[in-house]
Amino acid sequence: MKRYWKHSTLMCLILIGFAFTVRFATPIYFEVPDKWPKPVYDFSKNPITEEGFQLGRNLFYDPILSRDKTISCASCHSPNNAFTHVDHDLSHGIEGRKGKRNSLALVNLAWSKNFMWDGGVNNLEVQPINPITNPVEMDEKLENVVTKLQQSPKYRTLFSKAYGDEKVTSQRILKALAQFTVMLKSSDSKYDKVMRHEASFTQQEEKGYQLFKANCASCHTEPLFSSDKFENNGLKPDDSLKDGGRIKITKNIKDSLRFKVPTLRNIKLTGPYMHDGSIQNLPMVLFHYTDDLYKSPSLSKQLTKKITLNKEDKDNLIAFLEALTDESFIHNPKFQYPR
Amino acid sequence: MIKKGIHSVFLFFFCFWLSAQNKSDSLAVNFHLEFNKLPLKLNHKYVSAANDTLTVETFRCYISGIQIQYDDNSVFTQKESYHLLDSENPNSFSIPITKKSDKLISKIIFNIGIDSVTNVSGALAGDLDPIKGMYWAWQSGYINMKIEGKSPSCKTRKNEFQFHVGGYLKPFYAMQCMKFPLDKKADDDINIGIDLNRFFSNLELSKTNSIMIPGKEAMKLAAHSNKMFYSQ
Ligand code: HEC
Ligand code: HEC
Repeated sequence: MKRYWKHSTLMCLILIGFAFTVRFATPIYFEVPDKWPKPVYDFSKNPITEEGFQLGRNLFYDPILSRDKTISCASCHSPNNAFTHVDHDLSHGIEGRKGKRNSLALVNLAWSKNFMWDGGVNNLEVQPINPITNPVEMDEKLENVVTKLQQSPKYRTLFSKAYGDEKVTSQRILKALAQFTVMLKSSDSKYDKVMRHEASFTQQEEKGYQLFKANCASCHTEPLFSSDKFENNGLKPDDSLKDGGRIKITKNIKDSLRFKVPTLRNIKLTGPYMHDGSIQNLPMVLFHYTDDLYKSPSLSKQLTKKITLNKEDKDNLIAFLEALTDESFIHNPKFQYPR
Repeated sequence: MIKKGIHSVFLFFFCFWLSAQNKSDSLAVNFHLEFNKLPLKLNHKYVSAANDTLTVETFRCYISGIQIQYDDNSVFTQKESYHLLDSENPNSFSIPITKKSDKLISKIIFNIGIDSVTNVSGALAGDLDPIKGMYWAWQSGYINMKIEGKSPSCKTRKNEFQFHVGGYLKPFYAMQCMKFPLDKKADDDINIGIDLNRFFSNLELSKTNSIMIPGKEAMKLAAHSNKMFYSQ
């Protein structure tokens, strides 16, 4: 009996302890826009809190994650460019080392099943391991990141706000970064306002929208503007890069030259385009689809029929693509460099 | 503040009590890393059955999903059963599983490697922490087994061989399920040998010396690797 009492007091104390840990973090609710599909990301395993998000935001903008403290996530994923980089075709990392691919825009990641151009990464939380440890990106070891953050008074405070104690672990770092990146939601472009009947397209945009639905939407599927599948859109392979895309992961010949269909949200801001950054601007992208397809056995069947667009069609289509720019996303103060 | 202090003191004793309990009366599975039935010495020269002279520098391997079946048909399944055996850390080769008892054990089941669900479950901790160096970054997924060392048969940089075996996507799902029938009382530890000689005797190091990605070759190695395990 005595023993029983001891145990229940102990349990009570432990429960009080839990109450402590839960109370100080402020939950954030991830809102799914009307008529959008259910997110893929499992929020139950990483409940978003204000404190966790702020920790992630600090980490995202902090070059402390790189070996020589020169490169942050934002170096390649800048908010002004819808979280990609614009100045070069292939990403540039530590000491100016060149990567093999163009950076991807970080947007609506909660709805992605696979990450990277070849879908090699299977969960948003483990994605940062890639740039952190890649010798041409941040070239750092995860255990060093843990040590550096543990030594920083600023981060000890941020970790204890987010998790209830100061302990830094790779799991906590990765989950916090995911809390920030998963919140990068863009759903307030002119297109979205039109869909919500809060605005209307110009005639030009409307014509462009119809052309888009006829020629592009089978892969760049609304409302995310990506089917989240792997396709070969007829881009001529760059001999110097030898990048087969999805085949690297599946080893299946059918996946040769297939890449993840990228979203077209904020597309006006995210050039140069394609996984190798080989296409400079949107008119050139349309030229690619109408006149410059590289025919290979894995070319997606949606593109085997020639797409014809006259000059006016092209202008209309581009006007529509520009209506996918979401200013309130780009300028959202919550996503900017933390001060 | 005071409340927090008291609570951590209690928590401390609670954990202490838990761990004390673990040690005294728990049944463990002990793995024994060997070369030709003798305890493996790291960086020691061996000759394999395939006639390769070699030294082993690293052996690391995940054991998961440990299950014990008793002859009364009851089954014990370990929760959160993910364990990294690491040649740098001899203690990691002994895994406490459940309470000792007088029951008869009829079978032990475990996996070499990590199952596909865990492979897509995001950032994990403990033995599954990616810091342990058993995780691929560019293609998410755990390395089930790492065997590294040197052999003059390898015409590679510094004569190194490196085997990183893993993969969770079909048809290259490399995890191996092992089952060993036993007939022993649960009052004493279970001993499983891992004989590296059996791994290398299936292999010509001059031809196969660097496998670092999931795929066909990794599947072959995974199949060899389960021949190393035997019940002692
Ligand atoms: C040196 C430039 C660089 C740095 C630094 C960098 N990234 Fe990236 N990021 C890229 C490139 C390039 C890709 C596409 C890579 C590929 O497909 O191989 C990418 C892809 C991604 C993706 C996948 C997006 C998708 O839709 O599939 C995410 C998420 C991401 N990065 C987050 C981060 C985070 C978080 C950090 C900081 C820890 C970071 N990145 C640091 C260049 C960088
Ligand atoms: C068969 C599927 C498919 C169709 C149809 C398709 N695309 Fe694409 N699109 C892709 C894929 C895959 C990529 C990435 C290719 C790469 O980088 O190798 C891409 C890339 C793009 C990009 C570059 C995005 C970026 O962030 O770099 C733009 C812009 C684009 N497509 C616009 C269009 C337009 C406009 C149409 C209609 C005329 C269209 N696409 C039709 C599959 C398709």
